[in-house]
Amino acid sequence: MKHGARAGLRRLRGIVIALAIIAILWESAARVLARPFVPSPGLAIGALVRLVISGTLAVHAGASLGRVLWALAISFLPAAALGLVAGRSRRADAFVSPFIYIVHPLPKVAFLPIIMLVFGLGELSKIVLVGIIIFSQILVSARDSARRVPQQLIDSVRSLGATRLDLAMRVVVPATLPDLLTSLRVSLGTAIAVLFLAETFATEAGLGYLIVDAWSRIDYPEMYAAIIALSLLGLALFIVVDGAERLLCPWRLERS
Amino acid sequence: MVAIRDLALEYQRVAGVASGPVRVPAVSEIDCEFRTAAISAIVGPSGCGKTSIIQAIAGLLTPAAGDISIDGTPVHGVRPRTAVIFQDFGLLPWRTVEGNVELPLVLAGTRRVERRGRVDPVLNELGLSAFRGFYPAGLSGGMKQRVAIARALVSEPDILLMDEPFSSLDALTRETAQEFLLQVRRSRPLTILLVTHSIEEAVYLAETIFVMQGRNPGTIRTRFDISENRLESRFAIGAGDVQDFRSSPRYLELCGSIRAALRESGRTDDGAAE
Repeated sequence: MKHGARAGLRRLRGIVIALAIIAILWESAARVLARPFVPSPGLAIGALVRLVISGTLAVHAGASLGRVLWALAISFLPAAALGLVAGRSRRADAFVSPFIYIVHPLPKVAFLPIIMLVFGLGELSKIVLVGIIIFSQILVSARDSARRVPQQLIDSVRSLGATRLDLAMRVVVPATLPDLLTSLRVSLGTAIAVLFLAETFATEAGLGYLIVDAWSRIDYPEMYAAIIALSLLGLALFIVVDGAERLLCPWRLERS
Repeated sequence: MVAIRDLALEYQRVAGVASGPVRVPAVSEIDCEFRTAAISAIVGPSGCGKTSIIQAIAGLLTPAAGDISIDGTPVHGVRPRTAVIFQDFGLLPWRTVEGNVELPLVLAGTRRVERRGRVDPVLNELGLSAFRGFYPAGLSGGMKQRVAIARALVSEPDILLMDEPFSSLDALTRETAQEFLLQVRRSRPLTILLVTHSIEEAVYLAETIFVMQGRNPGTIRTRFDISENRLESRFAIGAGDVQDFRSSPRYLELCGSIRAALRESGRTDDGAAE
């Protein structure tokens, strides 16, 4: 525990130093360029504080977060389940893998127009777009991770009298969980990037909308404030996944 | 008694992307018997199919031909009272020492209170009580092996199958672990079969040694009986004398004979890990 607290403190110090360096670079850039589209960090923070106080930020951040969470809710479990089955069953893999090879390399953002035509201009199409990205990422890493489960672990638990369900729940799922969480972290990053794009169309809520709206009003401090807010949303999701990993995979902590 | 008659085993290997899996013969024409409550060993070079025999006796691999019976009952699938210890011990990294040891009982649906009552004595006996909350990653190789033995013993088996159980341990730990296995055997009437590539280990531990030859398929050609290792004589003379056996001319002579039998197969890589 003591060790963990010290490591946490060291990480916090690292983040503070990184923030300070970014602030200094940003401030210097603002002074050297002296253009309105690069406001000083102080102005942006000021705008951020105003957005927080007025409650505007909560509305937009809530809309964005809601979309990510809905996308996650509809995509994560089906993708993980399908990927794990494909990784452990040659017959299932014969169906799943061809789709992976064709669909995974495509940039999913390119489907945005099609998704909007199919699912309409509203919430659903934004959630579906983000969901597809998470689905594809989780599917691939679940399949690959399930393939890597050592046969000896499977055999040893089988020799103890495990059923197929026991093997799935007590060996394959825990063995692949760290990989699933890692790829969740990666796909959440991508999801937020795509969310920005999706929120620039046909909506009046979301951090993406806030950024573009501030841009069109030539309110640069507010535009930067919204960009900071979007980054903080990404950071928050990262921290949540980190926490989930600590909670769900305690055996990984002993290794370090 | 474990009796094996005319056994042939195959395994599947994926040959390429285009072709499907190919069946490769692992062993053939295996005939042997392992006496109840004795320690027997199968010695052979890497890749001779030793592990496949263990898997077949454990019911994890279905024979292509022949049959295996335990006390007259044919083996079909996993048998509750057969325990297996794998080369890398097969411990689940996400379960603690206690969690690993109680796993057979969890899978059998044993209630928590009863599980505790059966796990605690085994942990105590094997000196693992202080480590019950540790994850396998925090244990040495010797300790991991103890956990694997504890997990095997908790389901009160009558047969213990061990696949290269000492090969991943360093020399000193290995000797301690071998003594420890004898001690475990002394306390209960277990039929133990170990497969190993180490001649010295087999001659030290087993009262019957089967030597394998060839590969794909490998087969058993020679049998050695070591009366000095029969449990009656071993435990009558005590552990001190057992140590002496390793430096006796008879021990060296046996090692020499088995080495010669292995050489006949034209291929030895004694000492190489599988």
